[in-house]
Amino acid sequence: MIETPVPASLQYQPTKVELDAKVAEAKAKLLNSIKRSVYVYRVDCGGCNGCEIEIFSTITAVFDAERFGIKVVPSPRHADVLVYTGAVTRAMRMPALRAYHAAPEPKLVVSYGACGCTGGIFHDNYCVWGGTDKILPVDVYIPGCPPTPAQTIYGFAMTLGLLEQKLHASHHDEEPGVQVPLAFADIPYQVRVDIEREARLQSGYLWGRDAADDFLTTLEKGGTDVLGAVDALIAGEPDARRAEVFGELKRVLLSKVVA
Amino acid sequence: MFKLFKEIGRAGNATVAYPAAPLDLPDGYRGKPQHDEAACIACGACAVACPPNAISMELAADQSRITWAINYGRCIFCGRCEEVCPTVAIKLSKEFELAVGCKADLEESCSYPVATCARCGKPYASAKEIDYARRVMMQAAGAGAAAAGAEGDVDAVTGATLDAEGGELEGMGAAGAGASELAAAADKISLCLECRRVDDGVTAQKRATEKGGAR
Repeated sequence: MIETPVPASLQYQPTKVELDAKVAEAKAKLLNSIKRSVYVYRVDCGGCNGCEIEIFSTITAVFDAERFGIKVVPSPRHADVLVYTGAVTRAMRMPALRAYHAAPEPKLVVSYGACGCTGGIFHDNYCVWGGTDKILPVDVYIPGCPPTPAQTIYGFAMTLGLLEQKLHASHHDEEPGVQVPLAFADIPYQVRVDIEREARLQSGYLWGRDAADDFLTTLEKGGTDVLGAVDALIAGEPDARRAEVFGELKRVLLSKVVA
Repeated sequence: MFKLFKEIGRAGNATVAYPAAPLDLPDGYRGKPQHDEAACIACGACAVACPPNAISMELAADQSRITWAINYGRCIFCGRCEEVCPTVAIKLSKEFELAVGCKADLEESCSYPVATCARCGKPYASAKEIDYARRVMMQAAGAGAAAAGAEGDVDAVTGATLDAEGGELEGMGAAGAGASELAAAADKISLCLECRRVDDGVTAQKRATEKGGAR
């Protein structure tokens, strides 16, 4: 669905398949008393194939979903669980519905991956209707881009009622007057900025900040012999790349010394 | 047959014990982004950086509060939010068990008070962010002043050992002038953008009149 310039009322809204009460009851019963292997059919409604690759790595020897009786089958007519990967696209809406209606009742629907849950990174594409829940009644959402095999196993275990759900909606209202402490308040501002900038230039935003934080902590705790502490930090670093970055940061620090 | 069992014994068991035992995750694993509400200044840098718009900032209808929200169902776990966060308030944790039965459980939100302009009274930014920015600027100005003071007597200190106290480290490039400018800017931070623009216009006009006479 295009989210910004076009109002939702002017865009096509897919109708959702509704469960009738009898089927819902049978489904609840299936969940409680499933005493056999679960057959899973995988429907790709227009994803990037990353989710499929992760599903296949889930059924390989390392993660081995078949030890729980979870088996991927080639036809929806055999399936107990339908796994929908990818955002629902205009072209794949009908095939997705056909797979759903081909599977025998009662069946469970799993929305797999960020695209399956909400449309993911393609959520505002012109040909994407959104997540699987726009057209089908979904039982379990497995987020991830793509979900790792462990996440997949956890999701399937949750679908079958073996494991408990851990994530819950939360909201927090912050009171006025809360202050965030300044980081490295003892180190002169410009020195701190130059060290952080150099570290990020050397090894990127994430690891650059990591290196800069370690370096600045050493400076703060160094006491009177700061250069000695820095040399000890460089000597004690097992990673040659980080040691080199620390060397560069020391050069920046020395260029800041007035005396 | 014996050969086969020997081979099986040699190869060992490759399957992980995952649901029965915790999974061994490497450092730098990109799991659920953990938001620290207390350390967040609600600046919205993560919402701007987020490629799939999983993080959003929304102003309440009465403009008194701004709400930071994340939808884990849309998150692609790229870690851009962690990279851009100025206060390390969001970090990708090793938590990966995110599957839910109800879509609403994928949402997490936190609302922050919004500051109003000291002159016109209009809401303009998160109060926490304004407070943080003011303290950073005061710190920068203070360091500049300290460096300016220290530069006078460095000649007296010969062969000084390096000290992180700020005295011997050069804080600011253009020490004195930069410090006063920063202090002035820190004062101005309690005004909204519109009022600051008006102020800047007035200052520019005054400067022009002083420089080139009537205009």
